[in-house]
Amino acid sequence: MTKTNRKKIKRYMEGEVAGLSIFLIVIVIAFSLASPKFLTGANLSSMAIQLPELGLLTLAMLIPILSGGLNLSITYTANMSGLALAWTLQAFGGPEAGVEAFILGCVLAFSVGALSGFVIGFVVAYTKAHPILVSLSMMILMRGIGEFMSHGKDITGFPQFVQNIGQGEIGGIPIPLLVFIACAIVWHIILSRTRQGFGTYMLGSNIMATAYSGISTKRNLIILYTLSGLMCSVAGIIMLSRFNSVRVGHGESFLLITVLACFLGAVNPFGGFGRVVPVVLALIILQVLTSGLNILGSNQHLSTALWGIFLIAVMVLRWAWWRFSIKIK
Amino acid sequence: MNFRKLTITLTSLAVGIVSSAGAMAADTELGVVVKIGGIPWFNAMEAGIAERAKELGVKAFMIGPTSADPALQVRAIEDLIARGVTAIGVVPNDAEALEPVLAKARSKGIKVITHESPDQKNIDWNFELASAKGFGEAHAKLLAEKCGGIGEYAVFVGSLTVPLHNAWADAAIAYLEKNYPGMKLVSERYGVAENVDDSRKTALDLMSAHPNLNGFLGFGSQGPIGAGRAIQERRKAGKIHVLGPLSPGQGMRLIKAGVISGGFMWNPKEAGRVFVTLADMVVQGKDVTAGMDIPGLGVVNPDFRTRNIIANQMVTINEDTVDELAAMGL
Repeated sequence: MTKTNRKKIKRYMEGEVAGLSIFLIVIVIAFSLASPKFLTGANLSSMAIQLPELGLLTLAMLIPILSGGLNLSITYTANMSGLALAWTLQAFGGPEAGVEAFILGCVLAFSVGALSGFVIGFVVAYTKAHPILVSLSMMILMRGIGEFMSHGKDITGFPQFVQNIGQGEIGGIPIPLLVFIACAIVWHIILSRTRQGFGTYMLGSNIMATAYSGISTKRNLIILYTLSGLMCSVAGIIMLSRFNSVRVGHGESFLLITVLACFLGAVNPFGGFGRVVPVVLALIILQVLTSGLNILGSNQHLSTALWGIFLIAVMVLRWAWWRFSIKIK
Repeated sequence: MNFRKLTITLTSLAVGIVSSAGAMAADTELGVVVKIGGIPWFNAMEAGIAERAKELGVKAFMIGPTSADPALQVRAIEDLIARGVTAIGVVPNDAEALEPVLAKARSKGIKVITHESPDQKNIDWNFELASAKGFGEAHAKLLAEKCGGIGEYAVFVGSLTVPLHNAWADAAIAYLEKNYPGMKLVSERYGVAENVDDSRKTALDLMSAHPNLNGFLGFGSQGPIGAGRAIQERRKAGKIHVLGPLSPGQGMRLIKAGVISGGFMWNPKEAGRVFVTLADMVVQGKDVTAGMDIPGLGVVNPDFRTRNIIANQMVTINEDTVDELAAMGL
């Protein structure tokens, strides 16, 4: 990569952050003007509580996309992790279960997530099957096991402290949001400062060249899908504490939105390029859009169309910014 | 780095513009979160909500998530709490998953009304327009009348694991056993009524196996349609009677051909109206009492322990009403 090229890409990335920030400010101002209830503490905290579930799943989707793949099993892996924790809590007395049971349950939940990711990574690495096919199979498997073992029913009744994780606040910031921020920082560090992260970007750019340059692509693929699975477990645990129940299918509608959030956050659909910060900004934008439209009480049929308009607007703004920043070079 | 500076300034600006919370309105403002938006059933409910809100001069609107995912309902309710509505209505996808967020709403003084969720805990009231028993019995009674009180009948349910369909079937069978001893159930119920083809095939088989069969009860939207087609094929219209809750639009032709006798349903538009009526009552501090006459519910006999108001306001689907119901898109 030549120096000018690198500069160009760097500028492009900054353009992404600035472009998304400007768009965010525009819609925040627009919604504030449209409704006095938008910029209130109540709404900001409501948005802060809602963001993490989707955010964590988006982080789980991000790393596979960067490597040029996809993980379609994220929501059901999160469900299965949640079920593992729920059953552990139930086995230790449901509402009376202690902290030890919760910790054991979390370990099991993480094991489920890691195993799911590991299997996807292993199959993708060794059979060279397309990740869409592999993770789709894993999604069906997870869903099937979950439905078989839970009979599609809710598992509910957890100790108060578990609910507090989902509902509580520390210093006015909801705990799920703190968890999300911590996970986003970890993801940022992994992607920008570690061999694994570097390898992931390289895989997404050119897997052949990566293999020839001495990076173990198989190892890298297995680790990156395992990481994705672990993040699903975090999402599953947070959803459990938020809803005080687990059922196969909770959050299934998030799957496509996580992909959308990644692409909106300037992640290259073919892998190789993308960062955590713009994706987080994209998540905030999506949250502002849904909450804003709900607060306005706009017509439901219209709001779907508005979503589309907003998304197209982001693409246009991005293009405009890119043209602009290249010209002034 | 100008861009970075700009970014930081803009982001901090965005975070910085935080004004204090607005004052809560004392007037009734109701937000109803339904299972999913954009389908005829909930479009009719939305029409009912808007109509009744206009009559009472209150603010009420409906939110229909883009998919029937409980997580989306939770998010919509969070937004309603933030908006500061005085009442929230819900038709839950998953009663359990909503409990924490409904508890949060109630802790903020928001009144909560649910529909089709009799086991919900964190609510002010749940209302049903038809009890499982009343619904099953109404169908059983009509079937017995059509068959003249004597004959053999079979029962279809959506699936053997759908609690509501089986509760209807239980009530219907028990009613016929008690009141019409001449009506004989030919076999166990069949879990085919969510599938037109399965219902049709099962009905054809049953008609061959039981020559005296003269009635079908189909609890599940496709059951009556499938059985109706089977009867049409065998040219037994008028001799074998089919009843069940069905989609009026889908069943219109068979009803008009006299193949399906009809059935009962509850009207989602009426449910929408009741949401507004009830919400306005509780927000204005006028709580529900036994024997009260509430528009849309009739004289109510609420269960104060489970917070359920169960009425029997069924709509009859037959030759005369099917056009109007189908015109509503149902």
